Amino acid sequence: MGTIYVREEAKIRKRYFVTMLAMFLGLACGVVVSFGIGYFPLSPLEVAEAFLSRFGYQGNVRPQAVTIFWNIRLPRILSAALIGASLPVAGAAYQGMFRNPLVSPDILGVSSGASLGAALAILNGCGSMLVQAWAFAGGAAAVALAYLISRRSAHEQTVSLVLTGSMIMALCNAGVTAVKYISDPDDVLQQITFWLMGSLTKTDMESLGWAWLPMAVGLGVIFLLRWQLNLMTLSEEEAQSLGAPVRLYRLVFIAASTLLSAASVCLGGLIGWVGLMIPHMCRALVGPDYRRLIPACAMLGAAYLVAMDDIARSILSMELPLGVVTCIVGAPFFVSLIIKQRGR
Amino acid sequence: MLLEIENLSGGYGGEDVVKGITCRADAGEVLCLVGPNGCGKTTLFRLILGFLTVSGGSVRIGGVRAETLRPGELAKRIAYIPQYHTPVFSYTALEVVMMGRASHFSALQSPGRTDREAAFTALEKLNAVHLANQKYTALSGGQRQMVMIARAVCQEARILIMDEPGASLDYANQQLLLNMVTELAGDGYCVVMSTHSPEHPAAVAGKVLLMRGGRTAAFGRAEEVIVPELLEKVYGIEMDVLTLRDRYGVQRTICLPVKKKG
Repeated sequence: MGTIYVREEAKIRKRYFVTMLAMFLGLACGVVVSFGIGYFPLSPLEVAEAFLSRFGYQGNVRPQAVTIFWNIRLPRILSAALIGASLPVAGAAYQGMFRNPLVSPDILGVSSGASLGAALAILNGCGSMLVQAWAFAGGAAAVALAYLISRRSAHEQTVSLVLTGSMIMALCNAGVTAVKYISDPDDVLQQITFWLMGSLTKTDMESLGWAWLPMAVGLGVIFLLRWQLNLMTLSEEEAQSLGAPVRLYRLVFIAASTLLSAASVCLGGLIGWVGLMIPHMCRALVGPDYRRLIPACAMLGAAYLVAMDDIARSILSMELPLGVVTCIVGAPFFVSLIIKQRGR
Repeated sequence: MLLEIENLSGGYGGEDVVKGITCRADAGEVLCLVGPNGCGKTTLFRLILGFLTVSGGSVRIGGVRAETLRPGELAKRIAYIPQYHTPVFSYTALEVVMMGRASHFSALQSPGRTDREAAFTALEKLNAVHLANQKYTALSGGQRQMVMIARAVCQEARILIMDEPGASLDYANQQLLLNMVTELAGDGYCVVMSTHSPEHPAAVAGKVLLMRGGRTAAFGRAEEVIVPELLEKVYGIEMDVLTLRDRYGVQRTICLPVKKKG
């Protein structure tokens, strides 16, 4: 084995660690900044004092600062980081599985299903916990339905999944529109619209208290099986000939990705493009090997969404919905991607 | 006998494309599948590899029925080298080769040191070590074919299935490929390849399964099967088969389509 290749590999590994470290530092900076900015700005000193107040610090810190730190900004930052880690990991898994870099995590209808579930729950006057539960169930049900129908199709499974997924998506979107149409425009319609908007203003420790679990399971499963995703980028037959139980893996990855996406929608509504563009940026940084790609996606995604949420909170005098910010950033990125792909 | 195919039938949606094929190949042998388009070569491969369900007969690998093996066990016995291959993501050649190791570690693991060494050894064997860190997507057709064969070699299966390996290669690369196939057989692999050229079986001193309409037209050594009468029956055109000696005195076989003037 030539030493030159060993050296090159060592270089690649070093570059990976440096990249991960840089992303981590970016995330850490973003988190620290996030505690300070917003409608009620906190100085860095106040942030530190508010943090320490939980651990017996007895300084003259304003009580509002403590409340804002622990009850408003902490759940919000945790949500941003968790959603930011979850969506790109789900997106990267789907892009590999569907052998298409333009696929996003909601290709099988998880977001549309979750939206329908939430809209129905709001229409029936459910409380916020129940709305989240319905959204989660709706997202999972939509994907399960797409998966089950695709198994009855004669096409190759990935093709039929895309087809059934878009069918379910259309159906759920029609359902959401119908619910909006029959709901009271002064009350329920507003609630539905705001719920779906993609924003972290409503996050609290209560919803984080359960949402972290499906996210942890989804991230854990994909992290542990991540090398196998490389095989999923091959044709089904090729992957099978290499010894991969392709259909089983596909089911596991779809289930794990659905946990991630559905929980993300419950926490933050519809936040687009993150799941599509972060995997791309990571591929450019650490290469396509899923062994490195998945950790990079989680790290960069978390840093990215925390930063985007900071922009959403501070760019105008009033807060912009996070989903709007990620779309404004994501759409031009997508266009540049298409143009670059044509050149290849 | 490494690979035994006994009266094998199967196809798509309950309709048999392959009908009652019987053939066998042992370690150190090359078995060439020859026949016109649509004669069932690829379907036969798909049946052997377990991609399609067998409707009759059996495939035995080292005496074990193939359908009783799980994908991971089958992968340790048969490696598949697909026809042409453009991956979506730009993996390096080494990463592609290392995918051949999938059946050698658990699903929760990634390739380790031994797997990397096996990948390098395989690339060395194919004279392709210099490609290790290059992007697979940027390689030429001939180089990709070598990387694919390296992947199959580091899979450590004794049977190599090649689906028309020469199809997308230029003239020189086709010759290099045939040399490599001969070398692999010399190392004790059992190579099963489909080809459109009736000259290939003689070039690799192999056995031939001549197919037509999903059935066996002939099975035997190249010099027994690649003869005008059989080729004319299968391809429906007039053919001559010439044998001559090249400048180094090696006996060669050439197939010529012929046509009466006027």
